[in-house]
Amino acid sequence: MSEPILTGSGLVKRYGSMRALAGVDAAVAAADRLAIMGPSGSGKSTLLHVLAGIIRPDEGEVRLAGSRIDDLGENRLSALRRTRFGFVFQAGQLLPELPAEENVALPMMLGGLPRRQAVARARAWFPPLGLDGLEGRRPGQLSGGQAQRVAIARALAVRPDVVFADEPTGALDQATGEEVVSLLTRVTREHGAALVLVTHDPDIAAHCDRLLQVRDGLIVEQYELRAGQVTAHA
Amino acid sequence: MQNQLLAITAAAVSALVLLSLLGFGLGSWQRADRAGWLTPAASAEPTALQAATTMYVDGGRPVTVVELAQLPGKAATAAPPGLTGFPRPGQVYYSPALAALIHRLPAASLAGRFPRAARPGTLGKAGLSSPDALIAVIGRAAADPEMTARRGSTQDQSPTAVGIAGYATTASGTLSTNVSWAFLLAGALLIVPITVLAAASGRLGAARREQQLAGLRLAGATPRQILGLASVQSAATGLIGALIGAAAYAALLPLLGSYRVGGGTWFISDLWVGVPWALAVPAAVTLLTVASAVSALRQVVVAPLAAARRQDARGTRRGRAIAFLLILAAGALAQQSGRLDRVGLLALVVLVFLALGIVGPWAVDRLGRLLCRLARGPVLLLAGRRLADDPRAAWRTVNGLALAGLVAGFFSIAQLGGTGQNSSASEIALAVPRASATALVARAEQRLEAAGVHAAVTLNDQDQLLYVDDDQTVLDVQTSAAAGQLDRAVTALTGLTPTGYPTAGAYLGWDDAQSIRDLSSISIAVLVLSFVIAIASAGLTAAATVLDRRGVYRLLRLSGTPLGIIDRARLSETAIPLTVMAGTSTLIGVYAGLRLNAALHTSVDRGTALLLAGCVLLGSAGMLLALGLSRPLLRTVTADPGRRASRRGRARREGRKARAGKAERS
Repeated sequence: MSEPILTGSGLVKRYGSMRALAGVDAAVAAADRLAIMGPSGSGKSTLLHVLAGIIRPDEGEVRLAGSRIDDLGENRLSALRRTRFGFVFQAGQLLPELPAEENVALPMMLGGLPRRQAVARARAWFPPLGLDGLEGRRPGQLSGGQAQRVAIARALAVRPDVVFADEPTGALDQATGEEVVSLLTRVTREHGAALVLVTHDPDIAAHCDRLLQVRDGLIVEQYELRAGQVTAHA
Repeated sequence: MQNQLLAITAAAVSALVLLSLLGFGLGSWQRADRAGWLTPAASAEPTALQAATTMYVDGGRPVTVVELAQLPGKAATAAPPGLTGFPRPGQVYYSPALAALIHRLPAASLAGRFPRAARPGTLGKAGLSSPDALIAVIGRAAADPEMTARRGSTQDQSPTAVGIAGYATTASGTLSTNVSWAFLLAGALLIVPITVLAAASGRLGAARREQQLAGLRLAGATPRQILGLASVQSAATGLIGALIGAAAYAALLPLLGSYRVGGGTWFISDLWVGVPWALAVPAAVTLLTVASAVSALRQVVVAPLAAARRQDARGTRRGRAIAFLLILAAGALAQQSGRLDRVGLLALVVLVFLALGIVGPWAVDRLGRLLCRLARGPVLLLAGRRLADDPRAAWRTVNGLALAGLVAGFFSIAQLGGTGQNSSASEIALAVPRASATALVARAEQRLEAAGVHAAVTLNDQDQLLYVDDDQTVLDVQTSAAAGQLDRAVTALTGLTPTGYPTAGAYLGWDDAQSIRDLSSISIAVLVLSFVIAIASAGLTAAATVLDRRGVYRLLRLSGTPLGIIDRARLSETAIPLTVMAGTSTLIGVYAGLRLNAALHTSVDRGTALLLAGCVLLGSAGMLLALGLSRPLLRTVTADPGRRASRRGRARREGRKARAGKAERS
């Protein structure tokens, strides 16, 4: 792995007496594709949220490009998530009243880009993602796969350093899920963004370069995934 | 749970306001009925004579003096309401409030106006419009000059006593009738905002259940089952709220009774609507809640997939604008025909409200689209898209204040300027026989001097206060307009001659002025209630919207959208249509008020124009406050979104462990 852009060291997160993360180290390099797997409740989503600055760890630290981010104020964290990170969730992240192109343009507008330019840039994402002609459709008028492609466009439109994807295929059928995750892994790499993907599906995880297996708040195994070959590290 | 509480609150407020309004409306008719005996219908075969005069005391409090005389040789006349028998000559009865006032004021100011009676009786509630009513009943002989002399006439007293045969038929006083109509008009003006508030309570819960019921529908539940489920849930919420509102109404009756209008405060029994209405109103609010919830959920029943995924924008049709124009044209035609009586005017007001209700969502839709076109940043874009996406929902939020603006605009501008005639405030006039006029001047001077009143007494044939016969002239007294001086002068002159009671110029036109004060008081109450209802509607709807959209808001924050942007977009989607719609409707109300003033040749009062401005400012501030109250809720539902996700994961894991443990043990 080349120089990491995002690192989490000694991460602990407690909910009451429960430890969701029990001392986790994780790192992601630029254009790296990291899958986090584990059974439900293992702490994999908590790990994603801590790395993304959504949840503050009780112990340990998170650094982006060498700068600590877990101690930033809420406003700066919000700005960081908006400008340096992109997010793809299982479903529901698109605003139902906005047409697809405005959903993609929204993060850019929030960053201060005038609407006309933001929408123009947003439209440019549609043909490469197979969404040509769907710019004016509302999320409710898109299929599940199309909606996830729009979400991918929205995540990448701000040219983030890291894209976080939390069960992005969880609401899709297997074939569509394969399509979407192929697209996600391809375009994040094409645009030089790292990808942190949480999934419980090994076939989806297989699209990534590395895999962290999480259980009871700990990383129990790490793998390098290379063209179908699996190399265990821990 | 929060939504249920909001829905219950909305239903409670609706029932409370509806029952209160109904109480005042029905109560004012009962008042008018009970005051009817003061103006009995003349009989072709009279058995008694009745003369009623209004005089004033204590700075303008009206005292009604009823003089009664049984005609000899005629059948016994029934007792007036509030008395056990028809008064015999020399008997005097006072209403409780008058008796208390007589006790409080010096005899030279009030008691001296009435015949001395060893034991004055008390006029009972059945003869009183209000606990504050000041009424004296004096029994006289039919041959008494007080009953037979032709009096000077004013609008407060007729020139002759009326021959009556009882109190079965009466001609109601104009004051009570005006107040009754004013309450009816107030009801018409407030019924729409109240309905909106009650309907909001149904929609609050329904919006939350939409996804759940859509899921049930997709799982195979029939439309009847879906609607049945929604109806039962909404009925429970609506009924609980409406019953709380009814209980609050009953508890607040003493407070409501202290509202002084139409001549005084209220008997509690007048404001109590009775058991049938007390049950019917909560039932109506519950039905409205259910109807509103079912209407909100009809999308689920018709197209569950669309409801689950919100495919379509809930746009509006141009037909609404056309219907609005048609209604306005019909109203304008009716107004120009000049045949609008009270019922017609009421119908016109309801029609204007209906027109606003029809055009409102369409106008909000167009406003939303315009905002979308003009938006350069995310706040206006989000607000505009939300408005265009569901204009009916946005209209429901601002509807109440738009209608309140119409009411405020109209009432603060209309019916102003007529504040009574005070050109002869220091004058007291008394009709006297021309033959004995000079002697009466001398006696008047003596009486006034004895009472300590400095006054100039003259005779005046051209007096403006009194209308007299040819054989009469007017004894004109010029004195100080101070209330104490007037009271003493009037008391001193009372009984000087049987040709009538002294009339003080200060109180000429009091009846009209009181009507205007009453209408003004009712309109202010309508205004305040409208704003309160509108603010409650907006606050409840804003809070419900936060709850309904918490999933979207949470994901927006999670993706880095500042809370301030979400909050500003949320406020804009209410504040912008509110400013445009309420501003426009207020201007329509002002225009209608100006037109009415022009027709009545009255002018705008600066004080009430300031009142309008104050109400608009306070209403807007209240609205912003109500919207702002849901800000902590927004912060709560979007706080630490990742933790919520992790909690769900933990719960799943604990559940799985528990199941695994159980399987192991077994």
